[in-house]
Amino acid sequence: MKQRLHILGCGISAPGLPDMAALARVLDGGELDETAKAGAGISLLSPRERRRCPETVRLSMAAAEQACTDAGIAPGDPDAVFTSGMGDVAISDYMCRTLAESPDLLSPMRFHNSVHNAAAGYWSIGTGARGDITALSGATDSLVAGLIEAACRVETSGRPVLLVVYDLHADGPMEAVWPARQPFAGALLLGPEKSGGLNLDLSPIAGLEADEAPALPSVLAERVADNPAARVLYLLVAALERIPGPIRLAARQGPSLLIERA
Amino acid sequence: MNALNISAMTLSCAAGSGLASLRKALAEGRSGLRANDYPHCSLETFIGRVDGVEEICLGGDLARFQCRNNQLAELALDQDGFRDDVARLLERHRPERIACVIGTSTAGISSTELAFRNLDESGRFRPEHVLTWVHTPHTSAAFVAAALGLEGPVQTVSTACSSSAKVFATGARLIETGWADAAVVGGVDSLCLSVLYGFHSLELVSPQPCRPFDRERRGLNLGEAAGFAIVEHDPDQSFGRLLGWGETSDAHHMASPHPEGAGAIAAMRAALDGAGLEPGAIDYINCHGTATPMNDRIEAAALRTVFGAPPPAGSTKAWTGHTLGAAGITEAVFSLLALKDGYLPASLNCTSPEAESAEFILTEGRHQAVSTVMSNSFGFGGSNCTLILGAA
Repeated sequence: MKQRLHILGCGISAPGLPDMAALARVLDGGELDETAKAGAGISLLSPRERRRCPETVRLSMAAAEQACTDAGIAPGDPDAVFTSGMGDVAISDYMCRTLAESPDLLSPMRFHNSVHNAAAGYWSIGTGARGDITALSGATDSLVAGLIEAACRVETSGRPVLLVVYDLHADGPMEAVWPARQPFAGALLLGPEKSGGLNLDLSPIAGLEADEAPALPSVLAERVADNPAARVLYLLVAALERIPGPIRLAARQGPSLLIERA
Repeated sequence: MNALNISAMTLSCAAGSGLASLRKALAEGRSGLRANDYPHCSLETFIGRVDGVEEICLGGDLARFQCRNNQLAELALDQDGFRDDVARLLERHRPERIACVIGTSTAGISSTELAFRNLDESGRFRPEHVLTWVHTPHTSAAFVAAALGLEGPVQTVSTACSSSAKVFATGARLIETGWADAAVVGGVDSLCLSVLYGFHSLELVSPQPCRPFDRERRGLNLGEAAGFAIVEHDPDQSFGRLLGWGETSDAHHMASPHPEGAGAIAAMRAALDGAGLEPGAIDYINCHGTATPMNDRIEAAALRTVFGAPPPAGSTKAWTGHTLGAAGITEAVFSLLALKDGYLPASLNCTSPEAESAEFILTEGRHQAVSTVMSNSFGFGGSNCTLILGAA
């Protein structure tokens, strides 16, 4: 089987890579913008909400907002798929530490922000989206799970779907199970096949042990190796029409994916 | 729509492990709630704890998944011949054509809590707690796919209390678009300190057995459950058909539902639209009905808005506790049992419903054949999912 998707817009949020223009500069041989933080430049939450919301929200929302702007689509319009391997490791650390030391002091706000769909929920609140904003996980293969889910939704609804893949770095004991050193978020606004622009064909493949894709500049390859969410860089670079060949994303369970330019 | 069938199902929760035990509990009016005896938790409340979870040991290649959530999943997979049903499915379809979509909110967090209680002198996980397949929201779907030998798309849905209702929609989409021929869907959530103290911090936990829709209700009881179903076209046997679903967002608040139930109303209407049904076609509603004062009032008002005069409705949470990420599958199974058995369970512990819902909330169980039922699941983050199920 093969499923065709049109890329309508892209976004990125990571240290040194605050937007797609920064990514394009790196592809042109430029340096990372070392002063640029992840999660900057969001406009959809009030300053108060921005201060109170969890880090995953700022991280993912920055990329998601850019993808909608890039596509010229109101951010509250499309259904959205938020996919993350670990969710909010910083809040997990806080929750588990507090429960071990003084459970009666657990913060109610941090608790309700600890749900895996916090980023999806704040996106709905910030954009006013009343459609389906879902939240998934596929551990290190969350991008693969998210792509399949978004592709199914585009196919069954015939409408654009926002895909947001994000993961934090662990800072504390969780490093042992999630060794990423940098946060990363990428977003793709995907729609049904369209003439002009970039159409991609997605199909399942078996027996792939590791990702296979045209080489990225070393600073980007380091991000891909660091944080599984950064595997979306292959697609973002393809969207800038800088990757000529097919992308193969390996999954530890279920089908791996072949992504080819249509 | 070419209807999908639920060809096999199983559920283990506080009210019983396996369908026979659940039917017996329903017939006898026996709740599964008990005074809180969860270790390391001193809260005065009642909980829906499943007996025997601690004794389950995952062996061989599955040892990497050992945690309370997956132990509970293993216990549930052993009921009702579910593994045999999956084996028969695997005779008809290649493993890469069977998807695995599991909802959870707690995942393996009770093991993460334990790892943090036992940090070493430098504040790191001790080696026995470094379990990458456990400390991730994805642990349950990964475990079920590995345990059953499923090689199609594997996905965890984690949208708080709507998680394992949404798995039916995801499974149906995977089949409709050709990514899979059939799907094993389900949900698993297990008791942990995070949810017990977390809901306590929000002042939503009742010190007494919960009383959904009763005017004296004082909050929810936490529970745990694991349930699974096979979704496919044209099976030899069927518990019921998946007729429609509605997935919406409140766009309002992380922990409070929209005051007019806008997202809940939209979910019910989307499900009716998808099923091509008028509200009058629904014979029974299994409500979300958590027994918090606000949730039940808003849901009852939303039912009024959608139905005018709603059909018999109730919450089964006083049988099971609120099983959070497993609430969707738990209540889908109860809804399918209502279709199969023609018995609508009481909204247990509701003796005096509020005037606005008195004529449709079931204060007693009722023998009544039903052909079309609705199940509501609403969660934190304003995530809503309504399912409509029809007789086979």
